[in-house]
Amino acid sequence: MTALILGGATLTSLGDGAATFTALLAGDAGPVPLAHGDPGRLRVTRGHHVPDGDPNTPFRASGWLTRCVREALDASAVDPARTRVACVVGSGLRELAAVELLDPRAVPVQRLHFAHAVRRAAPEIGEVVTVSNACSAGGHALALAQDMVELGDADAVVVAATDAMTESMLAMIGRVADEPTDRVRPFDAGRTGVLLGEGAAAFVIVAEGSHRPDQRGAALARVLATGLSCDAHHETAPSAEGIGRAMRDAYHRAGRRPRETGLVLAHGTGTALNDPTECAALRDVLVADGGDPLITGVKGAVGHTSGVAALTSLDVALRCLRTGRVPPITGLRTPLPEGKDLRLLIGEPAPTPGGLVQLDAFGFGGVNAVTLLERP
Amino acid sequence: MTGLVVTGWSSITAAGVGEAPPLEPLPAARVTDLFEEALPEESAPVLTGFDVRAHLGRKGTGSYDRATALATTACGEALKAGSVEVNDATRGRIGVVLGTTVGSFRSTSDYSRDTLVQEKPYLVNPLLFPNTVMNCAAGQAAIRHGLKGVNSTVAGGPLAFHQALRYAANALERGYADVMLVGCVEEYSPHRAWQTAAARRSGPTGEGTAVFVVERADAARRPGSTVQAEVLAVATAFGWGDAAADALAGCVLRVLREAGVTAGEVTAVATGDAQEYEPAARALGHRPERVTVSELYGQCDAATGGLSLGALLGRRLGGVALLTARTRDGGVGAALVRGPS
Repeated sequence: MTALILGGATLTSLGDGAATFTALLAGDAGPVPLAHGDPGRLRVTRGHHVPDGDPNTPFRASGWLTRCVREALDASAVDPARTRVACVVGSGLRELAAVELLDPRAVPVQRLHFAHAVRRAAPEIGEVVTVSNACSAGGHALALAQDMVELGDADAVVVAATDAMTESMLAMIGRVADEPTDRVRPFDAGRTGVLLGEGAAAFVIVAEGSHRPDQRGAALARVLATGLSCDAHHETAPSAEGIGRAMRDAYHRAGRRPRETGLVLAHGTGTALNDPTECAALRDVLVADGGDPLITGVKGAVGHTSGVAALTSLDVALRCLRTGRVPPITGLRTPLPEGKDLRLLIGEPAPTPGGLVQLDAFGFGGVNAVTLLERP
Repeated sequence: MTGLVVTGWSSITAAGVGEAPPLEPLPAARVTDLFEEALPEESAPVLTGFDVRAHLGRKGTGSYDRATALATTACGEALKAGSVEVNDATRGRIGVVLGTTVGSFRSTSDYSRDTLVQEKPYLVNPLLFPNTVMNCAAGQAAIRHGLKGVNSTVAGGPLAFHQALRYAANALERGYADVMLVGCVEEYSPHRAWQTAAARRSGPTGEGTAVFVVERADAARRPGSTVQAEVLAVATAFGWGDAAADALAGCVLRVLREAGVTAGEVTAVATGDAQEYEPAARALGHRPERVTVSELYGQCDAATGGLSLGALLGRRLGGVALLTARTRDGGVGAALVRGPS
């Protein structure tokens, strides 16, 4: 069984989905001076902020979520008052940024769940489940959303994600880097680590076959399957074996072959460990099956959007399918040795290849989610 | 959802590690002796003397926060109780889903606080950062016990266990795993104690964890496994304010319908708080025995649902029991569980 994406909305440091895609195609978007905390003390000097004023305003993540859920419902012409709609929210840090304000009166604990934020967008939405699976939360949310519509638990599911950067996460990346990172260079030989992004995204998905012709527009993509795995290896270090299992699980579920994939939206964090590990898994699974996909990634332009990362990539993937153009990997100059034989897209946009699209998302705790899409 | 069977379980409360939650109030400990920080209460039903090293050894456990230590220990005990063999042939098919509120509130807050008060460069410990990510306990349990199947954390506060059961049912039905550990955890800390007090909730703050080995009711099970209970149906819904009671009653009717069980068969209702009982009894049309976790074990938030089920299984539940849950933002849930015949 498969599901269809009817509509969506995205927010990144570069703006909405259209603005983000335009900037990705231009290939020159980058971080701005850090507006959180004290950059000198954090040893993080740059970031990819959503430019919406004071970053110390509580509940920014909830606000973005509300906005994206509303826009996604409008874009898909699904009315929660007339049909059973559930919502699955992925998030790594949830409202930790609000907790960091250290004012218990300002942060009632129930507002740390996103039910409130979702219902501000659409009070008729029934179930709201928050999956808190670190940086693969959006991919896990997508897996659950597809299951729910295919099993008939809901007529439509809004799969969403949101994350705002936090001072504690900034302090952590500052402590693990040798020197402050100037920009994220995914898959680059000279990569120096990650910078944080933030934002939200929401997509409305329905089971294929339930898609009514009166729903506005054509579906944006068919979601074939999401493969899931846990490394059970290390809390923070990735494992090529674990990531490879998630990829194989995705192809097995979809009943497709890895060689059918034309485009990969990589996790590509620009860290010492992720990029060679992801290259190894792509080689073990896709290349070993005779595949030679084009590989791109977005974190050089929008930073690491934590639990939103999978859905940030999803929006870009949908635009690649629609416009026929794939943006290059912003920030990549010289590929890392482990990626020399892979088709990492450098410099200029390329035509969108045919075949399947693979989305990668990996998180702390060794939790991996790999999603396969195709043109509807 | 597909029905589930429970083939092993374990819990940790002030009653002890691996002891079933008792059907009586847990002993209260003087918490003011346990923490340097000021507390809003002198005593609470917390587990004193719990040392994760006694259960899992010293290696790898040094960075665990209390929630992670409790959940990881309970996962190991549940695997043992269910005689689950974890080897290279099975580990990829065994998953974990844990319910939480915010992970370890203490880890998150302390780490965030360090970023604000430590001298430059911020002397936060990157090794402790994973503790602030809300899926820390599930990830550490997988690492410790070598469980490579789907691994998820559902953040739903008092509703989290019901949501975790549904997540597990889905993962099993869709073939992501053959065996799921489903659990929930909440640790006692000054942070949570003050949060409970600030929210003006009655009773002390509690803590605990319960983890259940679940498999599909309709599939071949592991050789040698014993069914200790069946989870017949789980439903969750939402109702703002006064509508919450009707939403909960609606959930009860839904699980009865899905399970094909008559209201008369329900012999016990385990509620998170006492207010859940009236709507449940109204939907059932009679007043079965009530067990209320918050009255016995304090405010256990995300651990509530699992401790309810543990309390019912610990007394060798006969017949069918209803487990209800409610959050302060209008989320409600109901589950029907049948004891061994």
